[in-house]
Amino acid sequence: MKQEQRRPLLLIENFSFDYESLDQPIINRIQFSLNKNETTILMGSSGSGKSSLALCLNGLYPDAVEGVSSGEIYYRGKNIRDFKKGELNQEIGIVFQDPESQFCMITIEDELAFTLENIKTPPSEMARRISEVLKLVGMDGLQNRKIHELSGGQKQKIALASVLLLEPNMLILDEPTANLDPVSSLEFIQLIKCVQEKHQLAVLIIEHQADDWLDIVDRVLVMGRSGELIADGNVNSIFMEKKTLLEQEGVFLPKRFSNTADSFRNFNHRILPSEDVILTVKDMSFYRKKQIILNEINLNIRSGEFIAIIGENGAGKSTLLQLMAGLLTPFKGNIYFFDKPMEHWDQKELRKRMGYVFQNPEHQFITDTVLEELTFGLKLNGYSEKKINSTATKLMREFHLEKHRFSNPFSLSGGQKRRLSVATMVDETPDILFFDEPTFGQDARTTREFMNMIERLRESGTTIVFVTHDMDIVDITNRAIVLHKQNIVYNGEPEKLWQQEKILKKARLRLPYRIRNNHEEGAV
Amino acid sequence: MISSINPSIKAIAVLIPGILLSFTFDVFTPLSYFIFILFVTFTMGDISVIKWLKFFSPFFLVALSFAWMTILYTNQTFSYGEVMFTLWRFEITTGSILTGTSLALRSLCFVALSLLFALTTDSTKFMLSLMQQCKVPPKITYGILAGYRFLPLFQQELQILRQAHRIRGVGRTKGLKGKINQFRRYAIPLLANGIRKAERVAIAMESKGFTGDTDRTHYHQMTIEKKDWIFFSFIVGGFIIIVVFSYNLGYLNIFGKKV
Repeated sequence: MKQEQRRPLLLIENFSFDYESLDQPIINRIQFSLNKNETTILMGSSGSGKSSLALCLNGLYPDAVEGVSSGEIYYRGKNIRDFKKGELNQEIGIVFQDPESQFCMITIEDELAFTLENIKTPPSEMARRISEVLKLVGMDGLQNRKIHELSGGQKQKIALASVLLLEPNMLILDEPTANLDPVSSLEFIQLIKCVQEKHQLAVLIIEHQADDWLDIVDRVLVMGRSGELIADGNVNSIFMEKKTLLEQEGVFLPKRFSNTADSFRNFNHRILPSEDVILTVKDMSFYRKKQIILNEINLNIRSGEFIAIIGENGAGKSTLLQLMAGLLTPFKGNIYFFDKPMEHWDQKELRKRMGYVFQNPEHQFITDTVLEELTFGLKLNGYSEKKINSTATKLMREFHLEKHRFSNPFSLSGGQKRRLSVATMVDETPDILFFDEPTFGQDARTTREFMNMIERLRESGTTIVFVTHDMDIVDITNRAIVLHKQNIVYNGEPEKLWQQEKILKKARLRLPYRIRNNHEEGAV
Repeated sequence: MISSINPSIKAIAVLIPGILLSFTFDVFTPLSYFIFILFVTFTMGDISVIKWLKFFSPFFLVALSFAWMTILYTNQTFSYGEVMFTLWRFEITTGSILTGTSLALRSLCFVALSLLFALTTDSTKFMLSLMQQCKVPPKITYGILAGYRFLPLFQQELQILRQAHRIRGVGRTKGLKGKINQFRRYAIPLLANGIRKAERVAIAMESKGFTGDTDRTHYHQMTIEKKDWIFFSFIVGGFIIIVVFSYNLGYLNIFGKKV
């Protein structure tokens, strides 16, 4: 045992990596080791090179992207360059963030068999091993299901199962729960805990929000903006002693360690919605390929409200949002915007008065520079040169984009892209703005900036509707709308929702941290 | 029943008569073979007639228009025989009608053969068989399989892009220049996202130990059995018999030359 501890499983020495040149590398001279039977969490602001590091560790980078690297990585004392192709991947397995793009076969069985074939398992053993690993992740008996029909949570379990078939000594999880609803995400974390205990694996987790992982994490690593490793130690020492440093870097402190956990609390409550209804959904149903997605929905939205639409993956949240924004047409029933049926609105007028921000900001960009992006709508509406320029300047100042006036929107950082995507929607102060999971995949700093921006919009009278999985954000809205099985099962103040245990359970929701924390303290 | 035939053998069995047919310029040979394929399709294929017609009918129209064009613009060699009637300045001869009909029947044979293959073959099994029987490198076959999973994703992506553009009021751009710009705006992000996703899948495959090495075990052993050869002989043999028959009856016409 002692011997094992002295020799780390993975040793990273003075390692740098970049896609082009080592002048200002994404990963900058980092040095650490990972040990057997140890769970480590790797944090850092968005774009700090965490995912690239993961792929360097199992030897796929720099070759796969023709990048450059310096320094050495040793696995069990052997330089990873000396491993044959495919060998190291069996030792170090990775589960990726995007559940859509990590499979190559159609059915679960074939996908798992693909992994076994790669490592030349005799065909006679395959069925037994597939069934075993599916039992471990709780999905035995679903061998013949098609992967694209599974929920996000199930897909991630299959991704984990196929990696476990390699019988790795180390597991890397790259934001595995980012696309999952709150309960699926917790279930996945539980599964990792159980797998880790059973197989004594070394686990490296890459995550923005450490909260839910804290129970199983032994050690914390933090990467800084310049690609250096700025903190390495156990959970308590890092989150207590290096608090300021982490905050500067824009890393989410776990709420347990943060006194600003309630920073959203004092937010927005001064602005009270009026009684004027601006949008009405009446007896509306929507079908997709003969399958009911939404059934007889009735809903009013009042001017100045801040609303969150929540529910499990696939409950129809985004569909409802798109219907309300006039991007989809209801199958039955009607939607009225300022008492006028949606289909009677002139598109030009409608788009001036409502905005919609997509989950992926890149979907929104249609020109080559930030400036063009901001002035696109104004030009279409035929405003004078002077008015266009003054609005663009104002928007760039408000959204901190002055320095990037001529940059290509696709080259901006994650937070900047998000700001620009919102900026393009507010050139004419819309009456209502829809957001599809706006805080998804953002680090602490960009999330805070984003919420400040929302507050400013609300002050100017804009109604805001969010689709979100983040219960702490739901907690500060005026109204929560819970979708479950094609229907609205709750429509009212979030405060009262937190008492409805049955609804929370069936819609796979969690309590916000504020309340969970109170419960825990109350119990002590 | 045909769905259990080894996909590689099936592909070759369908390909050989397909290619050879393109040399026959008479009506009798493709017509008889077309009837033969229909017989095979509906007695041994387990294919519902309605589903088959759904795929077949658009090609039927295409074949008709082929025939019509050929009848109007027949090459000198084929416009033999008497003039049946004159249409404006086109003289329609018996020869041109026969050649046109033959072309239409040949096209229909191709379509029927392709449908016989496509409607009875599982894409995954076809790729596995290409890899195991025809020694196609795993890199290519698994690449195609991964790409196949991508098609619905692409469709989704395009839909989102359309919506995003509508939100920005892009539908309002006018003129040809606007249209070209619009196409560019769709194409670039669609391709960029496609490449990004393809890269991710490739990396995920490699991290599951895939190296492209041909030395791998196979969960689904694709084998060639007696029944596969029987099917092969049946489809190809059927063609040969029809050709011989048509020769003896004096119908056979290869490249416009009576044999």
